[in-house]
Amino acid sequence: MSTTNNPVLDAQNISVVFGGLVAVNDVSFTIPEGSIVSLIGPNGAGKTTFFNVLTGLYQPTSGDVIFDGEYITGRAPHKIASGGLARTFQNIRLFGMMTAQENVMVAMHSKMSAGVWSTTFRTKKQKREEAEAKEFAQELLDFVGIGKTTHEYARNLSYGDQRRLEVARALALRPKVVLLDEPTAGMNPNESAAFVEFVRRLRSERGVSVLLIEHDMSVVMQVSERITVLDQGQKIAEGTPSEIKNNPRVIEAYLGKSGSEASQNVN
Amino acid sequence: MAEETKAAAPAHTSSSNTKWAIGFITVVLAIYAINKFYLPTAPVQVKTFFNSWFSLTSMGEIMIYILMALGLNIVVGYAGLLDLGYVAFWALGGYVAGWLMSGHFDQWTVNFFGNPPAGLPNGIHLNFLLVLVLGGVFTAIWGVIIGAPTLRLKSDYLALVTLGFGEIIPQVMVNGEDIGGFNLTNGTKGINPVDNIKLFGYEFGPFALADKFLIYAALAGLMIILSLRLRDGRLGRAWLAIREDELAASMMGVPLMRTKLASYAVGATAGGVGGVAFATLIGGVYAERFNFQVSIIILSMVVLGGMGNVWGVLVGATLLAWVNNTGLVQFGNIINSATGKNIDFPSFNFLIFGVLLILMMLFRREGFLPEARVRLIMHEEEFSEVAVVTDDIEVEGVHHHEHN
Amino acid sequence: MTSTTASAPRASVNVGKLLTRISIVLIAAVVIYWLGRNFLDSPTQFLSVGITGLSNGALYALIALGYTLVYGIIELINFAHGDLFMLGAVFSYFFLTSFLGAEGATPRNYAMLGLTLVLAMVFCATLNVVIERLAYRRLRDAPKLAPLITAVGVSFVLQFIGLKWNGSAPRNFTTVLPQTSFTVAGVVVPWNALAIISLTIPLLLVLVTLVNKTKQGRAMRATAQDKDAARLMGIDVNKTISLVFALGGAMAGAAGLMFAQSVGTVAYNIGFQLGLIAFTSAVLGGVGNLYGAVLGGFLIGVIQGFNDGLPFGPGQKWSQTVVFTILILLMVYKPAGLLGKATTEKV
Repeated sequence: MSTTNNPVLDAQNISVVFGGLVAVNDVSFTIPEGSIVSLIGPNGAGKTTFFNVLTGLYQPTSGDVIFDGEYITGRAPHKIASGGLARTFQNIRLFGMMTAQENVMVAMHSKMSAGVWSTTFRTKKQKREEAEAKEFAQELLDFVGIGKTTHEYARNLSYGDQRRLEVARALALRPKVVLLDEPTAGMNPNESAAFVEFVRRLRSERGVSVLLIEHDMSVVMQVSERITVLDQGQKIAEGTPSEIKNNPRVIEAYLGKSGSEASQNVN
Repeated sequence: MAEETKAAAPAHTSSSNTKWAIGFITVVLAIYAINKFYLPTAPVQVKTFFNSWFSLTSMGEIMIYILMALGLNIVVGYAGLLDLGYVAFWALGGYVAGWLMSGHFDQWTVNFFGNPPAGLPNGIHLNFLLVLVLGGVFTAIWGVIIGAPTLRLKSDYLALVTLGFGEIIPQVMVNGEDIGGFNLTNGTKGINPVDNIKLFGYEFGPFALADKFLIYAALAGLMIILSLRLRDGRLGRAWLAIREDELAASMMGVPLMRTKLASYAVGATAGGVGGVAFATLIGGVYAERFNFQVSIIILSMVVLGGMGNVWGVLVGATLLAWVNNTGLVQFGNIINSATGKNIDFPSFNFLIFGVLLILMMLFRREGFLPEARVRLIMHEEEFSEVAVVTDDIEVEGVHHHEHN
Repeated sequence: MTSTTASAPRASVNVGKLLTRISIVLIAAVVIYWLGRNFLDSPTQFLSVGITGLSNGALYALIALGYTLVYGIIELINFAHGDLFMLGAVFSYFFLTSFLGAEGATPRNYAMLGLTLVLAMVFCATLNVVIERLAYRRLRDAPKLAPLITAVGVSFVLQFIGLKWNGSAPRNFTTVLPQTSFTVAGVVVPWNALAIISLTIPLLLVLVTLVNKTKQGRAMRATAQDKDAARLMGIDVNKTISLVFALGGAMAGAAGLMFAQSVGTVAYNIGFQLGLIAFTSAVLGGVGNLYGAVLGGFLIGVIQGFNDGLPFGPGQKWSQTVVFTILILLMVYKPAGLLGKATTEKV
């Protein structure tokens, strides 16, 4: 589980400008292979915008994203996703009217090949492919702990199970990196604690690197190897949890006036 | 927990499919048997009753409408793309039959397992099955041509472009009598007669209507199988995902353009095959028949039955096609003769289909036989945040998709 | 589209842009050759059909405004709008020609024409408001497919009303506006074209002033941007949307009357195709933009006029095809229209 220095994802000098408004300003950022890193910052700091640049949703005004040794800047989102950069959404975006299994299988689209012809005639290859996909979907549902919800509609799942399903769906892309956008939003402290363990399992059992955007400081501090702090589109600090915890700029900018209360959270 | 889970399983289980399939086959065989074996010897009143209320021509037409409605269902119901020019594919398919199964191009004489009328060998006469395939391929190509530049647009713009396309194609057919001196479509006179179907040495002549009906029923049956299987496969999942959340689908590695194009091409193919079949049913191709109303009637079939639900669309298509080709006229005749008035009932088409669309959208958006998931979608309020982000993608997507 | 200029260009993007540019240049070359050759062959005829085109364009602009106003405020392509225009034309025939018996250009008939113009506008405005109230309002928060399909349904119902009211055959009648023309330096100018242009321009000015200068206009623009914020600012959103439908309807009514008076024919099925042409105009100008609708209307009118009236070109029987081809090309190259804004600015 040791962190190598090889970055699996390397964002270089990313800037995003929306009609004169600088949302992200010259931010560089790497995810070392096999690591768990976090991106934190107050609301409106540009975290989600930065996330959207990595996943190809926005094109950066300047800067480049290198993923797994290839430039992916400007590449279509679905190509980045099928290339192994998977994500979840802050406000859950499952396919509500599809079953949990189908949700996961949608993400296997790019790894499957059946077309109109082979699906209509149920060729041997198509049947095998479907069976394997179903098996893998079940494996992932089991992995995230909702193995009994296979045939339930996603929208009928509990909030926590929907979050898990999002992770299972992301894993179906067989990603190298998973980006989790505020995964503990709406979780109670017990669930959050369990989540820390879950993120570690994600790395150890599925072999992915993890990038977290997270508000819950206790989760961030427990699970991250490195933390990057954004404020108003700028990177203001980067380092290990203990370095970040004691960084005066972070305390000032991020923790702000309620600093004392928040620093209790940090510990 | 586990018991509850099972109860919530999707409604489209294979057992309900089996029931519906048996029902469909039974009805088809019953219609065939009645017409083939019972009616020829039945009393005159019975014959008249069947011929006026359930004529074989109208039954064949219903089967072709089922085929086309299921084709549109793949575009509108599965992938959630509104196509208002579906009639264009019907027209194109019809003309493929007109070109390849008639004496229209009498400057050439081609006969490939075809069935030219006795003593008139001129023209192109290909085998019906081959023409079906060619018609489907031809319209699929057109589907891609029209879809490729437009599918990246917002859904309402797409509706408009398809509508424009549905207007252009018939006009080309009407004006196609003299394109640089070449008679492509024979203008408003249309192309007729289209050859009788001849398969494996058996000719489906003008009086073999019952046998011809079986051919159209088989085509509808194939489309049912295709629809059901595609829905449960890789493409069907991607379509449903796009219908629900385009952005999330693309972030899960689903190529939006290509997947939408696939739905468009499959839908177009069904329209083209329907066009070929219809040309052989009525023995000709006539440009005026391909108007906007037809697109709307087929859309109504999909809406009435429940977007996305194969069996619902089948019922919707059967009902509306029958009302359109038989029911209105027959009920009109009865009412007119009872009241001594002379009301033009077929003109009420506009009112019926218009009111039907409005009422369905206002009160029963999921259709009468909804797929469970559509019921939920159609009653869900749009998520404004999603809409904003999606707008964003659509504009930016222009650049991505150009280079796929 | 413009928003993407902000993003860093990539090699592959440039190839796409290059192809786009080349095809635009090719299309432009064909159009310039077509117009140039016609102009050189017969300059007076060129100008004459241009004037007819302008007067048709004025009608398209009036109808296009209805589309663009409604799209601007609730993002709905109101498929029924063309049929509303048709009912305006049918109404004006029955009121002016049939009921008032106004046939031929007399002073009394001109007065009646003015009265009918007002009534046709009121009629269509009321009808449009009722349609919105009964059908579209309930679907304001529904998925986009639902109001679109509803609008198609409304279009069918309106056509049915037109069919039963006007009959299935077109009606021909003597117009109040003179069907004669005068000649200036060899250029033929029809009187009715002049009349339509001079009636339309004040209407357009009134509408633009209303939207840009009045309190209600501000409410409209606020509602178009953000309904919830507008509501919080104390704007009655429902009333504002009704007003938009009323304005659009009134313009369609005016266009209906003028159409009937310029061609002397009404039929129940004129709304569908003219509506589509008008919508193309709205898209050409940039849907949601008032000036765009006017510009697009005149442009499409002139293009169609050239196509129908010039000796060298596809000719009238390809009229619809030419217009819809423009629509499709627009969608491919510039979906935002000539004066439209890119949608990203919202984010």
